Amino acid sequence: MAVLSANTRARGRRGRATRVPPVVLAFLLVPLLAEGFWVFWPALQGFYLSLTKWDGVSPPQFVGLGNYREMLHDTVFHTAVLDTVLWLALFGGLSAVLGLGAALLLQQERRGVGFYRAALFLPVVFSLTATALVWQAMYQPDGLIDRTLSGVGLGSLTHPWLADQDTALYAVIVPALWRQIGYVMVLYLAGLKGIDPALYEAAKVDGATRRQQFRHITLPQLSSVNAVVLSVIVIDSLRSFDVVWALTRGGPYHSSELLSTYMYSTAFQSLRLGYGSALAVVIFVLAFGVIATYLVRAFREAD
Amino acid sequence: MNTENFTPPSRRHFLAGAGAVGAAALMSGCVTSSSTGSSSQSSSGSVSLQSNLSSPQAKTAMQDLVAAYDKRGGTKASLNTVASETFRTQLPTYLTSANPPDLLTWYPGSVADGYARKNLLLDVSDIWQTGELAGYSDALKKLCTDSAGAKVFVPASYYWWGLFYKKSNFAKWGVQEPKTWDEFIALCEKLKSKGVTPIGLGAGGGTAWVASAWFDYLNIRINGARYHRELLAGKHSFTDPQVHKVFDKWAEVLPYFDPNGTALAFQDATTAMLNNRTGMMLIGTFFADAAPKDQLDDIDFFQFPIIDPSVPVAEEGPTDGYFASARTRHKAQVKDLMSYLATAEAQEIYLKGSSGTSLPTNPKAKDSGTPLVKKGRALIESAADVTQFFNRDSSDALQPTADNALTKFIAKPKEVTSILTAWQRDAQKIWSQ
Repeated sequence: MAVLSANTRARGRRGRATRVPPVVLAFLLVPLLAEGFWVFWPALQGFYLSLTKWDGVSPPQFVGLGNYREMLHDTVFHTAVLDTVLWLALFGGLSAVLGLGAALLLQQERRGVGFYRAALFLPVVFSLTATALVWQAMYQPDGLIDRTLSGVGLGSLTHPWLADQDTALYAVIVPALWRQIGYVMVLYLAGLKGIDPALYEAAKVDGATRRQQFRHITLPQLSSVNAVVLSVIVIDSLRSFDVVWALTRGGPYHSSELLSTYMYSTAFQSLRLGYGSALAVVIFVLAFGVIATYLVRAFREAD
Repeated sequence: MNTENFTPPSRRHFLAGAGAVGAAALMSGCVTSSSTGSSSQSSSGSVSLQSNLSSPQAKTAMQDLVAAYDKRGGTKASLNTVASETFRTQLPTYLTSANPPDLLTWYPGSVADGYARKNLLLDVSDIWQTGELAGYSDALKKLCTDSAGAKVFVPASYYWWGLFYKKSNFAKWGVQEPKTWDEFIALCEKLKSKGVTPIGLGAGGGTAWVASAWFDYLNIRINGARYHRELLAGKHSFTDPQVHKVFDKWAEVLPYFDPNGTALAFQDATTAMLNNRTGMMLIGTFFADAAPKDQLDDIDFFQFPIIDPSVPVAEEGPTDGYFASARTRHKAQVKDLMSYLATAEAQEIYLKGSSGTSLPTNPKAKDSGTPLVKKGRALIESAADVTQFFNRDSSDALQPTADNALTKFIAKPKEVTSILTAWQRDAQKIWSQ
């Protein structure tokens, strides 16, 4: 007993900085356990399920890589991949560019600028499903958009926006963008606030134009924010589901199908949970791949 | 209430709670293991009834029904209403869980048989031997029997599909109900010449399944109910010439369809009909739940036109009711409740509380007695065969394949051959599950 307490005292004196109090350990371990059971364990099961054929009722049947082989010949999967790439490019690209544009416009403290910032950020507060319902009403035949078009003499352009395979995907991207721009803008506003004004002053003294200031000061200084924005955009693109499901459910006939909606309908409507899990694994690999590549590059540049 | 003894939950309590929940998650184990683990639930207590009837009127009617059952003394029932879309996706989970709800609302026929073949449904053949269930029609008895010959279902109500229209509009336009396909086309032509969109659809905005009614009816009128059922069970191919014939007929009337047919949900499409923008639509009586009460008296319907008089006339008469989980721990009580739900008394309570456009399955129960309901009852009773609906005659998993094929056909009727090939390929994946 005495030896034990002497030991602890000795260790306590030598390595005070490394000794972790049990309460802190508990605070770390309990959430880790919870996370393990509710996140990591189901995720690992998802990987296992992707190698099986399972209808959710009978025991899963192991089929090896059969589900992944099926993807090679699945035309709907090909459409979903193409649409997801298109979505990433349009939704991701436009929200980054427009979000940065809005942030640059609204960074100066002028009168009324708070109102515009709030107005742009407001859609972020709404649930995407609620947003989608409002937009669905606007896209309806006889909805706000068609009526406005007829009102200004463009009646020939009226259209069942969500029911036409040529316009459905773009009609869904618009509400998603409407929300995402405000979010990206706030991230960039925070980044712009962090840039030392002295840099701009020095540039002005050196006679740099506004374009040169933007190219050589603003953009490089925002690189850390870019990493965040990119991660957010890639993750948001790949998990975009609610707005598509609420507006078109991936239809008409798969024309606005994303990997996420295809995964959901395969798993929970067609009850092909094995193939659905394989699609989920693909989404995970894509998201993880894009983000990991970027982070590795970013860290290398930082070194 | 004694508030003095109440202590706010401390952080330590919270952590203990979190740990307990984590441990529970560990114990419940792997989701994929189809465990039959015994539960500590005792065989006493109330019978739980999980219901997907979540529309306000139907939900109230179910509450009335359970209250009436509880009043009889003896076993008590507890109602748990779940949003219908959630219910549909969770149903396999409900049935396979170690501690399932005792009784569930769902559909008889092929869908129920799919679960029965996996040994998930309670065999209730004994309650069909006695009491009011013994007096049910032979058609219903057959419908509630699984492929192994056991009765696994108790039906409660059914409804019918037809081409609904407004009597005042047909009088105004000077047109009559058609009987044959040619008369039907002539009617469409006449309405079109008057500037009215003849046929509303309502297969947009999340209700794409409504289009399946057209496929079902054309198929049972051209190829008969038997072929239809076999096709949905995977015994024929969607690329058969018989199926092509269905789409050729459909193409004849497609020009008369509302161009916004796949953009509007059925609720909006029925509103368009009630507002005189479309002439008629093929729909089930459930649409009346959303229609204004004062319009109901003006609504009438006609039978889907006869195409080939040599094909025995079948109608779509989807039946709703209940099945019990095979893992229930209240076998005797759940059977008692099921017998009650089959009585004329119970079915009349439900019809009184709901919109009253469905029909009771008990031959002795009174329907709501309106002219519309009488006409609907006569339609189903005179039919040589009764089909359920696309998903009920096949499986819920097959429905999305039909939705895709049919919406694509409506948009691009010329591509019918490639559409049917794709449909067969998608359906094959479901059948081979």
